Amino acid sequence: MKLIKKGAEADIYVTEWQNSDAILKIRKSKNYRNPILDKNLRKQRTIKESQTIMEVKSFGIPAPLVYFVNLEKSSILMQRIPGKPIHDLPDSKVITLAKQMGNLVGMLHQNGIMHGDLTTSNFIFFQNKVYVIDFGLSQKTIKPEDHAVDLRLIKEILNSAHAKIMEKAWKNFLTGYRSVVGTARYLKIIKLVSEIESRGRYATVV
Amino acid sequence: MIGLGIESTAHTFSCAVIEKKGKSGKILSDIRKIYRPPEGEGIHPREASRHHIENSSTVLSDCLKESKITIKDLDLVSYAGGPGLGPCLRVGAVVARSLASYYKIPIYPVNHAIGHIELGKLLTGAKNPLVLLVSGGHTMLLAFLNKQWRVFGETLDITLGQLLDQFGRSLGFASPCGKNIEQLAQTSSKYTPLPYSVKGNDVSFSGLLSATKSIVSKSKADACFSLQETAFAMISEAVERALSFTGKKELMIVGGVAANKRLSEMLKDVCKRHGARFFVVPLKFAGDCGSQIAWTGILESQVKKGVLLQNTFVTQSWRLDSVKIDY
Repeated sequence: MKLIKKGAEADIYVTEWQNSDAILKIRKSKNYRNPILDKNLRKQRTIKESQTIMEVKSFGIPAPLVYFVNLEKSSILMQRIPGKPIHDLPDSKVITLAKQMGNLVGMLHQNGIMHGDLTTSNFIFFQNKVYVIDFGLSQKTIKPEDHAVDLRLIKEILNSAHAKIMEKAWKNFLTGYRSVVGTARYLKIIKLVSEIESRGRYATVV
Repeated sequence: MIGLGIESTAHTFSCAVIEKKGKSGKILSDIRKIYRPPEGEGIHPREASRHHIENSSTVLSDCLKESKITIKDLDLVSYAGGPGLGPCLRVGAVVARSLASYYKIPIYPVNHAIGHIELGKLLTGAKNPLVLLVSGGHTMLLAFLNKQWRVFGETLDITLGQLLDQFGRSLGFASPCGKNIEQLAQTSSKYTPLPYSVKGNDVSFSGLLSATKSIVSKSKADACFSLQETAFAMISEAVERALSFTGKKELMIVGGVAANKRLSEMLKDVCKRHGARFFVVPLKFAGDCGSQIAWTGILESQVKKGVLLQNTFVTQSWRLDSVKIDY
């Protein structure tokens, strides 16, 4: 077992399962966190993540297969998607793939799922397909406000980590999103995104 | 080069003189007077500004006396242009304008939040850090990219400082209450589960505030303990996310809440996990002070001419990610 990423929440190992490449995602206990809080969070998120992955696959979102869940250890064994996170791709590629990301997020929302952690690192590009990963913070919700929180987050990430290409990527993302959820819903969500932004500290109130 | 900085964004009126030699800066003096609201109440902007006006001349003259310079030695004067409380900001701006026009000294409005970061970098020696700015006015995770500080995560509603202050006031403490809450929390170790709200890299504290108020009746100490544990764990998680997303190898924590020991302790552990170096601003300069304004003014003056008097604005809402940084 080889450690490939020390993520914020979990450690990611590459391993094998039934002769195919697999990822073992372990939500390790954190010393700094109060033990009760720590245990609750790790358990809840492990359950949430494995459940949501299975659910989103059922309506056609490319996501890894879940092989095995160990609640005692807060670990999930799943299929390895050997592509690259969109975060690490060249700018031009990020711009074109933004539309596909928008599409996928639209599909999630249409099916009542909020991802909860939309960053460019949580989309993996592999064999011309974009996979969605990391559903630990996801929620089942059809509330427009929750969906708007999702969009605001990816907007913030584009604005900070991909500042140079933010405008183009964001435009493409929205085109993709709109094509799935429809114009009426799109306009509603977009309005809420600005509302959330205006609630932020010292935001320019338009 | 010698610069005077005037800070008056909220409860603190402060003047400081810094001398820059080569790349390093030396704080020659930093004098403060802090407005204390009555117990159980928050800052009243009018009362605070009155406090600042009454104390401005003593603070300024004490500051010059301690630094052993005269006004004529100053190469520039800078003041906090925002963000902050309007009436308070105006006091600092008036003092700065008077000095600038009477003595013909170049004048620079400075963003208060950038001041926290720049002073932090000067005092800790961090080179390219992820910055956690936690104070009464801010809760933000920032990294420098393309001539601007970019926000990687922030609070969606109230700040960590407000959370502690508003809760503290409901217990009858006077703002700022962080220290009182920290002391009370140390007497308990009984954790009551409270709402934990991390949305990606962002956090939200408003639900936590209401929930904590509702468990106070059982035990104040337990409530303080549980509040700190929950709120700081949320911040630590957001920091972990931002560290792993940006790949930064340094974390610097600045702002008033940086003084909290439990928060530092948790963040130290986060840094250990991610192999990052941990920097915390010295206690004396964690809160609002003139030095942060003086130093940022000096940095600005390296690349810009002073502002015309008619353009010496104050802006209550001045987001730090809208400031272009050329030095």
